Amino acid sequence: AEEEQREVFEFEFSDRPLLPCYNIQVSLSQGPRNWLLLSDVLKRLKMSARAFRATFTHIEVATIAEAEFYKQASLSQLFSGPDELEGFLPDSKELLDLVEISGELAALLGSSLECLDASWDPVAMAR
Amino acid sequence: FDHSKAHFYRYDEQVSLCLERHSLSSSVASGKDKNKLLQQKFVRCSARAEVRHLRRVLCHRLNVEKHQVSLSQVQILFNNESLPDHMTMKQLWLSHWFGKAQPLVLHYTVKDKRAR
Repeated sequence: AEEEQREVFEFEFSDRPLLPCYNIQVSLSQGPRNWLLLSDVLKRLKMSARAFRATFTHIEVATIAEAEFYKQASLSQLFSGPDELEGFLPDSKELLDLVEISGELAALLGSSLECLDASWDPVAMAR
Repeated sequence: FDHSKAHFYRYDEQVSLCLERHSLSSSVASGKDKNKLLQQKFVRCSARAEVRHLRRVLCHRLNVEKHQVSLSQVQILFNNESLPDHMTMKQLWLSHWFGKAQPLVLHYTVKDKRAR
């Protein structure tokens, strides 16, 4: 039952500035999720898109039209800074590749995760 | 603990934080506490996480890094002011950081256990 589900906060820690994360609904069949731009991930991993897809075949890459991405991202009150969405074109029909944040992706990027449940106990991490 | 059935806040909007050690912290002066520095200072979490959650996880984090710290020693500050425990990251962002670029910069202090 819903009430039995324990609530868990996840905290991602990194020694480098974290890549921008966008809360975006990419399909009507699921709600908003948290995504990184594949291009940002590739830059940080120093990998080509082809190598990434070949190495991490199980990591799904979603696509969204840049205009739709811009529309959703600009609604966020957390992206209120002057330059946050500067590189994006509000009318572009180009497709953007996105990868959903996961424990595996965070680890690939050199982050570590801490979880905190409702009883305030740090819990062992597994996604 | 069954992770598959847990409700995670992972689909929430996330905030990006930078946790800097407060430079005026009293314990900086004492040599043995110089090492109570967070190695990974960039943090991402749900916008619904509260200051008390951040304090708790920061305390755990420092302990993982072999520092002996208790929760009561750890405080989170913004502009030299201690933040209320139940303030969410979203409230904090909207009230103190709106219009600014990510990450939101916070400071933390680790009080010396023996400090009066």
